[in-house]
Amino acid sequence: MSLLEVQNLRAYFHTRNGIVRAVDGVSFSVEKGETLGIVGESGSGKSVTCYSLMGLIPKPPGRIESGTARFDGADLLVMSEVELNQIRGKRIAMIFQDPMTSLNPYLRIEDQLIEPLLIHEKMPREEAVKRAIRALEEVGVPDAARRIRSYPHEFSGGMRQRVMIAMALITQPDLLIADEPTTALDVTVQAQILDLIARLQRERGMAVIWISHDLGVVAGFCRRVLVMYAGRVVESGRVEDIFARPLHPYNRALQRSIPALQGKGAELYTIPGLPPDVSKPLPACAFADRCEFAQSECRTGEVALKEIELGHASACMRVQRGELNL
Amino acid sequence: MKPIFLVATVGLGLALAGCKKSDSPAGSGSAQSAKKGDVKDAPSRIDGKMVLLRGNGAEPSDLDPQLVTGVPEHMILMGLFECLTGQDPKDLHPVPAAAERWEVSADQLTYTFYIRKNAQWSNGDAVTAHDFHRSYRRILEPTLAAQYAYMHHVVKGAQDYNEGKLKDFAQVGYKVVDDHTFQITLVGPTPYFLSLVNHTSWMPVHLPTVEKHGKAYERGSKWTRPENFVCNGPFTLAKWEVNQFISIVRNPKHWNAAAVKLDEIRFLPITDQATEERMFRDGKLHVTDTVPPTKIEVYQKNSPAYIRIDPYLANYFYRINVTKPPLNDKRVRQALALAIDREGIVKFVTKAGQIPAFNMTPPGTAGYTFRSSGSAGVAEAKKLLAAAGYPDGKGFPSVEILYNTQDTHRSVAEAIQQMWKQNLGIEVKLLNQEWKVYLDSQRQLNYQICRAGWTGDYVDPNTFLDMWLTGGGQNETGWGNKEYDRLITEAGRTADAAARLELFQKAEAILMDEMPILPIYFYTRSHLISPKVKGWHPTLLDLHPYEHLSLE
Amino acid sequence: MARFLFIRLLQTLPVLWAVATLTFFMVRYAPGGPFTAEKSIPPEILKRLEAHYGLDQPLGVQYLRFLKNLVTGREPSIRHANRTVGEIIRESFPVSLELGSWALLIALGIGLPAGMLAAQKPNTLQDYVPMSAAMVGVGLPTFVLGPLVVLLFALKFGWFNTSGWNAPSDRVLPAFTLGCHLAAYVARLTRGGMLEVMGQDFIRTARAKGASGWRILTRHAWRGGLLPVVTFLGPAAAGLITGSFVIETVFNIPGLGKYFVGSVFDRDIPVVGGTVFFFAALILFFNLLVDIAQAWLNPKVRLE
Repeated sequence: MSLLEVQNLRAYFHTRNGIVRAVDGVSFSVEKGETLGIVGESGSGKSVTCYSLMGLIPKPPGRIESGTARFDGADLLVMSEVELNQIRGKRIAMIFQDPMTSLNPYLRIEDQLIEPLLIHEKMPREEAVKRAIRALEEVGVPDAARRIRSYPHEFSGGMRQRVMIAMALITQPDLLIADEPTTALDVTVQAQILDLIARLQRERGMAVIWISHDLGVVAGFCRRVLVMYAGRVVESGRVEDIFARPLHPYNRALQRSIPALQGKGAELYTIPGLPPDVSKPLPACAFADRCEFAQSECRTGEVALKEIELGHASACMRVQRGELNL
Repeated sequence: MKPIFLVATVGLGLALAGCKKSDSPAGSGSAQSAKKGDVKDAPSRIDGKMVLLRGNGAEPSDLDPQLVTGVPEHMILMGLFECLTGQDPKDLHPVPAAAERWEVSADQLTYTFYIRKNAQWSNGDAVTAHDFHRSYRRILEPTLAAQYAYMHHVVKGAQDYNEGKLKDFAQVGYKVVDDHTFQITLVGPTPYFLSLVNHTSWMPVHLPTVEKHGKAYERGSKWTRPENFVCNGPFTLAKWEVNQFISIVRNPKHWNAAAVKLDEIRFLPITDQATEERMFRDGKLHVTDTVPPTKIEVYQKNSPAYIRIDPYLANYFYRINVTKPPLNDKRVRQALALAIDREGIVKFVTKAGQIPAFNMTPPGTAGYTFRSSGSAGVAEAKKLLAAAGYPDGKGFPSVEILYNTQDTHRSVAEAIQQMWKQNLGIEVKLLNQEWKVYLDSQRQLNYQICRAGWTGDYVDPNTFLDMWLTGGGQNETGWGNKEYDRLITEAGRTADAAARLELFQKAEAILMDEMPILPIYFYTRSHLISPKVKGWHPTLLDLHPYEHLSLE
Repeated sequence: MARFLFIRLLQTLPVLWAVATLTFFMVRYAPGGPFTAEKSIPPEILKRLEAHYGLDQPLGVQYLRFLKNLVTGREPSIRHANRTVGEIIRESFPVSLELGSWALLIALGIGLPAGMLAAQKPNTLQDYVPMSAAMVGVGLPTFVLGPLVVLLFALKFGWFNTSGWNAPSDRVLPAFTLGCHLAAYVARLTRGGMLEVMGQDFIRTARAKGASGWRILTRHAWRGGLLPVVTFLGPAAAGLITGSFVIETVFNIPGLGKYFVGSVFDRDIPVVGGTVFFFAALILFFNLLVDIAQAWLNPKVRLE
């Protein structure tokens, strides 16, 4: 049994301007100890997918329209807050994109760090503090015993992300959801944080869902990848397959727009058009309007993710029909 | 958290429900809330004592009778001090008080008062002629700068002494004949003199006490604090809780203490009419100072036993600045006067039984009622306006009515604005100013038409007519008339009562022909009063000597 | 901290001076004077009166005398001839302080929970009910609410006196009226502040850690959420405890508020000066308290 099995997840936001279909029929699974990457542009629904699992989307206006998300057999989507609170921060932990705003500016690091222990392990405070200091040392915060008394604004961005990681991992979760944890950091710090998470994952054998718009980071870190577009998964597969043999025009376009993969001096490729507005009705294949290979039935036909080769699926109907060789 | 929130919403809900039932506190919808039996009578005894609870308007500024100027102070002081003469509870005619009798000389210039041998101050000192002599000197001392010192100006030499022109007080017409005989010599015959001397400015003060707590002839003595207070009236000052109440209790040292029925009177300063009315309804007052105009009808209809409306020696009029066109034209002023429907104003606007006024002096003031030449109608007004050059109001320049910011004044002004538009075809604008700004504008003649009121200082036509002397301090219209001046001055010298009133008739006829003022109505005083209060008679000055009051 | 307090106190001096100076010249140049009355005073008496109160002196001398009174409070009131400015404030301030404190308690007791409740589930019934009540509270002026509660609780049910300040129960209706009005503002500010905080990333972090709604409220959100309330409460509290003219009039309470309005109408220059100065000083004091409270709530603010 997979650690996490998500089926047909739909998360909509009911706003004044219409229904925003942020996540529209997403299915995937995560095995124990596995690293899954979710890539896509901003607004593709990758973050909302994970927030939905964690019950973190604001309701209202957000609403889970359909789907199941079995974590260790229990459906996260139908759990009460109380039940969910026993899983959040204990078995599934999360780290966020912006370490500057994700820590509570009004509380000392110490109080924030020990909170998961106090909540989930009912640990006496002194013991929790000791664990917290050790956790800070593990993520490479120097002089942890003293600095634990500081407030977040006294830390640099990289240090704060280390604190976030220490906080997420302090309860030894089975699954870590990392929502673009390195995006807000500068490059050298990015590498350190990546190494840190990779090391901790190896040591503890936990599963990681790594959300990123940066294919390069995902390529170096994940075993399997989902490519999301307009709230749907358009391609999924092992990381080497995704990069070596893209099976969806969007994935291909995405890779062409990575500067590091371009020839020197070549003009940087950008995908024409804008990401679609998911509050409006979309063509059957949401990418059709920006796709150089699109045909009329791309807009009207039936689109579904289908396995093209072993463990490598695509939602492009022309690829499915063998018309395209990307 | 939830229960608190519940309480909050329930509270608000209740408040809203209350709102629905009774409309607004001052609105017509509150008619039901003053139903018969809804008024709770204030108790006639508090701890076994007969205590009268009285609403008294503003907080008194002081209790020094020679320095105060307001009505609230007067109401308290008349219980605390006794003048040479007192007032009859029914019609306020002079009766023996500190003086047990008096004699008037044939030329009406000299009054001799025989002070009671048993008159005492509240500290046990005897009240003597010296006390009156010293007190009257004090009020006339220029350094004291007493606003009401002019009430003594009928006395020989008093004005000169007060203005610093006469230095020797011995030359002023006050004379101590012996310890109990006091003589006053006047400038001219003053038929109302015996009524005049029971005004606050004629109350004696205990000079040793004044001097003990400050300077005798300067302001700032602390003698009026309850712990220092000495007085000679039927009551003494027991407590002065600022902005809460002033309590005066029966003075056992008073010569007539046995006749005084009330044990105590509490004066509550209440500036808000609606608050006062609610307190009355809740049985916290026997007598209110006022009645909210919107409540008058309600009480008259539902609880007539609880409301009193009595004529009052005061009038409501408009001053006209006669120095500027178009109002410098007598015909215009006459036209404006004729085009006011006074009946309409008292019936639909002020609603408290006021009497429409077509002249200055309230009817029946000390036997004087102005002989009106009969009022012409709107047709005559139009004719006059046309004669002045404004047929049907055409070409009439913009004119403004100034009043101090208050609802009644606004309503009256709006009504008159409407009447002039309808009857004369002229447009006037309204301007309201804060009280002191308004007074200042009036004083500076910085107005065209201006709301005004005048309360008689004593019951005599003189108090309404001598103010219109050319250049007089209260004139404030720029109007003056030599014949008028002559008649008023003449009246001041005339000893014969009938002839004197005739002079006033002539003078007022001039005033009403020249129309520097537009009389509108004579005031009434309304009170809410518990039927338990006995001995409260309607009097023109709204004074009710406390020694005659009791609670059933 | 001591340094901060010292500097802040120094900073208040020019503000107080400016307030005092403006007040003096505004009252002095307003039309009409303390002795302007319907029955005008003979000019020679008026001159002596003005001399007695020093109003005949050159303006500069009057001004200095005015400033001196602000420090000593020894100047006699003109309207209340019997008492000095200091006495007036000493007598009436305790009443206003008591009433204001009760009102403040009620305002916080109702406003904070209502606002928090509303912020917990925005745009639901739990939000709409208290916030609609708050709208009514904001829109319902005290001079309407005051008589209403009197009619209902004093005259109809007879639970309280209609007005006065004698029995302990006399505090209830005025404090409730004043407090309700303020509670409405507090509730709205609390809701706004809490909603803003609840939308912050760190609240999402806390939820991701498995913190319960209660824990998030009591440990993570309240400090940031209450900052706007605290900022508002400074001047509001100063205003409350120095008395409310309307409430004192409606309930006939011997507080300080009457003097603020009355003294201006009376052109009672020493009392105008004294009360305005007192109020200004209190506002500055409460703003200082607000700064200290903010520093305590928000570690990013340093008292330097």
